[in-house]
Amino acid sequence: MKRLVSLVLSLALVLSLCAFAQADDLPTITIMFHGSNVSDDSVVLEKVNEYIADKVGAKLEVIWGTWGDFDDKATNALLSGDSDVDMIFTCSWSADEFNKYAKDGYFYELDELVDAYGAELKAAIPEALMTAATVVGPDGEKHIYAVNGFKDTATQIAWDVNVTLLNELGYTLDDVKNLGFFGWGEIFAKAKEVKGDAFYPFLVEPMVAERAVTNTIIVTGDSGNVNLLSYYMNPDDLTQPTEKYGNVMLNKFATEEYKAFAETMRAYYVAGYIDPALAVAETSNDTRTNAQKEANYLIGTQSYAYGYEYSAEVTSRGIEVAYLPCTDPYVDTTVSQGAMIAISSASEHPEESFKFLNLLNSDPTLMTLLNYGVEGVQYNLTEDGLVDFYGEDNELLPGRSAYQPWTNGMGNVTILPDTKSEGAGFRKAFQEFYASGKAIPVLGFIFDSSEVETEMGALANVAAQYALALDCGAVDPETELPKFLSALDAAGMQKYLDAANEQVKAFLGE
Amino acid sequence: MQTSARKKIKGTTASLNRFGPGAQALFHVLLGLFALLCIIPFVFVIIISFTSEESIRQIGYSFHPLSWSTQAYTYTFQLGDQLWRSYANSFLITIIGTVLSVLMCFLYAYPLFRKDYGYRNFFNFLSFFTMIFGGGLVPTFVICKSVLGLSDNYAALIVPMLFSPFNIIIMRTFFQTSVPTELIEAATIDGSGEYGTLFRIVFPIVTPGIATVALLVALGYWNEWFLSLLYINKNMNIIPLQYLLMRMQRNADFLAKNSGMIGADASRAATQLPSQTLKMALVVFIVVPIACAYPFFQRYVVSGLTIGSVKG
Repeated sequence: MKRLVSLVLSLALVLSLCAFAQADDLPTITIMFHGSNVSDDSVVLEKVNEYIADKVGAKLEVIWGTWGDFDDKATNALLSGDSDVDMIFTCSWSADEFNKYAKDGYFYELDELVDAYGAELKAAIPEALMTAATVVGPDGEKHIYAVNGFKDTATQIAWDVNVTLLNELGYTLDDVKNLGFFGWGEIFAKAKEVKGDAFYPFLVEPMVAERAVTNTIIVTGDSGNVNLLSYYMNPDDLTQPTEKYGNVMLNKFATEEYKAFAETMRAYYVAGYIDPALAVAETSNDTRTNAQKEANYLIGTQSYAYGYEYSAEVTSRGIEVAYLPCTDPYVDTTVSQGAMIAISSASEHPEESFKFLNLLNSDPTLMTLLNYGVEGVQYNLTEDGLVDFYGEDNELLPGRSAYQPWTNGMGNVTILPDTKSEGAGFRKAFQEFYASGKAIPVLGFIFDSSEVETEMGALANVAAQYALALDCGAVDPETELPKFLSALDAAGMQKYLDAANEQVKAFLGE
Repeated sequence: MQTSARKKIKGTTASLNRFGPGAQALFHVLLGLFALLCIIPFVFVIIISFTSEESIRQIGYSFHPLSWSTQAYTYTFQLGDQLWRSYANSFLITIIGTVLSVLMCFLYAYPLFRKDYGYRNFFNFLSFFTMIFGGGLVPTFVICKSVLGLSDNYAALIVPMLFSPFNIIIMRTFFQTSVPTELIEAATIDGSGEYGTLFRIVFPIVTPGIATVALLVALGYWNEWFLSLLYINKNMNIIPLQYLLMRMQRNADFLAKNSGMIGADASRAATQLPSQTLKMALVVFIVVPIACAYPFFQRYVVSGLTIGSVKG
């Protein structure tokens, strides 16, 4: 009897709790971002929730993933079917790689939701971005699996030139342009002569330099840490393939272009133009950023984004910096899937989640609120209506320093207001610049490596051993490159290439 | 006569145990070098934490930096709330976790050592099995988060590490080597109940074992950051100091590895990362308390060894 009573009582307690939970008005939707630096979001979220309550019919919570922990958090949430995460950042380079996770069924299919609630979204972002987010799902058919962020939708690599030093040496930007990568030896020699032996004029990110010189792209789906495949762009007309190679995926390290690059890098390295620390994976990045901050270089590499020369990172170097683009801006698969937000298939509120994403990408008020924060706390408006994150003492406002999300990872950045450091008209110019981006012939091609996964692992190991040192000139390509190539062949390079090229042919309908 | 004989014996053993001056010197040098090996990295960390940023950019880490600066510490103190809260969290998690985990270990290991306990083998197997076969990351995550509700709370940082089969084996073995079965029988005959025997007779004997296990557990909790990464999503108020540091480190690693992919965004983010000196200052903050805990535990460990030698 006693037992029965206690059972009934506890049941009653549980039921009343349920009833209480139901009385709580709006469902909560949670979004996980990448690359954030946020320690206090309370003021912002309060305003956001006030704003979206009627429009979306839900309450927003945010998981501020950081560069370092996002990959673990995201894969865990998706693989475990965690219903506490409704929306999640995904792209072509994160651990929850968009194409793979969409194919494996971790993302919610958005076709119907886009038709039902996505009119504003469709109007706000270019058709091409919708296409890039339409990929093969678990049923083998193509569906929309994410809301694609409208950001720097084209890309290009540029040489980062320290013009102040260049002029000191008696050269001009035109000299750099005309001599080209293979002819910079004399400028470097002069720099070395003037600035002394401890000065390293050529400050490269080795793998970026390789792509800059050979005009190749990152092939989406290729081995992540060290790329193995090269697709050669035609710098004269980016929309056409090169005459020499056509639409073919090549072994990155087996072309004569690569050999020429590696030989020149070797010559520069031996002559002391490149810091040996750049050839060591662990020190490479620190060395580069430190030398950049100190303006301790002559020519460097940069994956360029519009307006980068006006950003604080560059202006704080205290020198005049110019960027010489290696090609016109182009659109490839990687950049067209550079930052997206998908809805987890474990989400219990896909409808509210999509309504929220629709609003975030089309409503400037919400986008500004979530990105830049609240006026008077995270930023002030100048007289011209520009967003200013700095106080009178030229220090970042405390509210802003506690709230710095990664803008490009959130969605449509073109509806944001201009900031004071970017200057008026920046967003408009930004949009025009990227509208000029040219689609390369293999845009949309995604290499599916599932059949050659074993080979890919083995090849990546081989490449990790040689590639950085070769790209940097730290070893002699005369002796090391043949060794590298035969090691790649032994690890199954041909099979890997064949698989890629078969897929390219199918993709282009040849 | 007797005394002189004893003296003689004593003399022989003593001389047998004594090293020649050469060997003495050699051992001193060797041990001294070993001690230096242990202490130098930490001294280096302290030096770097007081080095100025410019010096690091120009000549890298060095024992003789170009210029000194306390900037890292000033900045650390400006981190304010987050730093002290994380510091307090680290202490809280370590203390509560250690007490609970040691208690569990002690209570689980004791029956395993009692030969008169019938299900000994079964429970032995139960704990030993988990040492060899784990569930894997994702299933563990599902159990902890969905079933046990370990998410965004202190329990998430404590409970997953409470039970350690390895420590239980250490503890059980310690029971077996230092607690004679006769002692427990004697206690029972004298009318001691099971709990009385456990806490009043056995416990004082095994304090060295407990201290050893406690030290292992405390180190484990103090250095733990992966649990925070997995289970703390929204409530950043409860993360420990170690995670704060790991996050900085992992951010830097990620940006270094992926800068070619993310492009200008990554370069931008990389320049906003905390400086090298700041990281080292945080390491100093992390290492000092746990280094202070060592002598405390060591007292018990050493006393245990003495007890053993006297009995032998």
